[in-house]
Amino acid sequence: MDKPIIRLEAVSKYYKLYRHDLDRVREILTGKARHESHYALQDINLEVKAGEVVGVVGRNGAGKSTLLKILANTLQPSSGSIVVNGRVAALLELGASFHPEMSGHENIYLNCAIGGLGKKETDVIYEDIVEFSGIREFIHRPVKTYSSGMFVRLAFSIATHIDPDILIIDEALSVGDGVFARRSFDRIMEFKKAGKTIFFCSHSLYQVEALCDHVLWIEEGRIRARGAPAAVVTEYGEYLRMQSALAEQLDDHEASPSQHSEGGKQAGKGAGEVPRIVSIDVRVDGTSARAHRMMSGVSNLEVVVTFEPGRNLPMPSVALAFTGGDGRILSSVGSVNDGIELHRNDDGMGVARLCFPALPLLKGNYNLDVYLMCERGLHIYEAVVQAAELNVEQQGLARGLVNLPHQWNTP
Amino acid sequence: MILSALFRNVYQGLTVPLFSGLRHRDLLRMLLRRDVVNRTSGTVLGMLWPLLQPGLQIAGFWFLFDIVYGMRFNRGPDFLSYLLVGMLPWLCLTEVLGRAAGMFREFSSLYRRTPFPVELLPVVVMLIPGLVYTLIYVLMLGLMFDLATALHAFVIIPLLLLWILPLVLLFSVLGLFVRDFAQALPFALMLIMYCTPILYFPDMLPESVRNVLWLNPFADIMGLMHALIQGEAFAFSPQAVLRLIVEWLLLLGPCWLVFRRSLVHIREVL
Repeated sequence: MDKPIIRLEAVSKYYKLYRHDLDRVREILTGKARHESHYALQDINLEVKAGEVVGVVGRNGAGKSTLLKILANTLQPSSGSIVVNGRVAALLELGASFHPEMSGHENIYLNCAIGGLGKKETDVIYEDIVEFSGIREFIHRPVKTYSSGMFVRLAFSIATHIDPDILIIDEALSVGDGVFARRSFDRIMEFKKAGKTIFFCSHSLYQVEALCDHVLWIEEGRIRARGAPAAVVTEYGEYLRMQSALAEQLDDHEASPSQHSEGGKQAGKGAGEVPRIVSIDVRVDGTSARAHRMMSGVSNLEVVVTFEPGRNLPMPSVALAFTGGDGRILSSVGSVNDGIELHRNDDGMGVARLCFPALPLLKGNYNLDVYLMCERGLHIYEAVVQAAELNVEQQGLARGLVNLPHQWNTP
Repeated sequence: MILSALFRNVYQGLTVPLFSGLRHRDLLRMLLRRDVVNRTSGTVLGMLWPLLQPGLQIAGFWFLFDIVYGMRFNRGPDFLSYLLVGMLPWLCLTEVLGRAAGMFREFSSLYRRTPFPVELLPVVVMLIPGLVYTLIYVLMLGLMFDLATALHAFVIIPLLLLWILPLVLLFSVLGLFVRDFAQALPFALMLIMYCTPILYFPDMLPESVRNVLWLNPFADIMGLMHALIQGEAFAFSPQAVLRLIVEWLLLLGPCWLVFRRSLVHIREVL
């Protein structure tokens, strides 16, 4: 299957701005242009083959959403041609077309019909939709009586069961509460495994890099960079860092930029169901504290993360990141990446014990971020930004951030 | 050139909504269900309302004109049967046009964030009142005349809807983009009703006005309907048929063009 499943040629989208409301009517009636164009996308060329996972990154207002809407056929491009060979499911605004007075049952049929499915086709997948949404006992009640979580679960279930060839995901990879979030994520991974084409747009650069085969960086309506995830994400991350540094200089703000603190520190939900961090113990040379003074190349750093592994879920993984004062990641380690499997202690808690002997960071202030993630290291259950502060001092005159392992060869 | 463009737009204006309706049968059925839920949820009388509303309106006119003013025609049918034959289709028509003007707002939650086939909406706003009024009209004609006359309803209401298709397309666009339009429409429709022989016989108009009645297509429509149903007192006018067909052909092309042009706009406005 080398035929592209999506092809965009010179696609542009501009929104028409009118000085007066009536100008729009005049334009429609006479066919004569009376608008000023505001370009959201300009000259986008894109070919996506079946089975590719394409990440889209870019700042707010860069045109990401417009691109996704055009792919989802909820917006028509102003110029250029677009070919999409297959059924598209868009997880853009879940449940937007639900009718509050109608029951879940009826909304399933209504939304499947909007998605292009006939009644018979819907009959076939109906059971799966209800089963996956997990709200069988409420399915004949009007959706206005649903909690927002139930609402979204049903919407997600419908969107992903219409057997799309192309899946478009904006921002949230996870939907609803913890357990369902996990299942929704798994479902998306199934799509990836099944060789479906996925468009994935997120601020979580980590997820983009981990999931995608190909990344587009959109800036001011144009593709600024594209290619292998690692390269584009790094370039984009660098750009973001510069922008925020610039903004900080301008505002003279003290606020710490934390572009990877998406999840934030969430309060634990539904005891025991969702993996969550119980405690983080950061010790330097045997003493526990949240803020440490330590000596470069001398002090030993030990981190113990205790977590509830969650019921009926594979053992989660743990990752640590050292960040500088500007939020930039200096180094990271993860149990998945290192091929380490974590185990439970006698209490049934998961424990990750990590040691950095003679920490080679050089003089400066650093933060330690801790992540609890799924067994593949893709989905973040919980992120604790700035779990500890490290104030590193040094003896020598070495400059920079880190003392690289090295040796001098002299005759 | 212009002729072929006109022909193309007439053709598309008729076929695109029609085929869309056929292709999305299941969606259409769900939208009908949605509409029923919309109207009936939380009400006590529920499904009776769509039947009661025209009934009460007609009862009001009947009370005023028949009982209070004692309106009698010198020839032809009694006032009540004349009123019913003309008024029910007219109410159907005003309901369709009124909904058309609010159509894009009413259904915005459906099409704004989904690949909903927008060209289906004119079919929806025509079909829902169409079904209700066909039912009422059949019942009413069956009660007042006979079965054969009652079957006329199955022809009259669909033909009426087909004839106002251009107006539905145009009004839906105007209703969305010109806010004043929706405000003015009910009054405009009321004025048109008074200018159309619905509550009175065409002969009751002064000679000078009767001579220009052909300018009002709704007068032609009413004349034809009375001729079809209440035959003997009303002459069937072939010229009226011809006028209506020509007017329809002239309207549909431009109205479809306007509708088609506005499609790119509707997801951006609101």
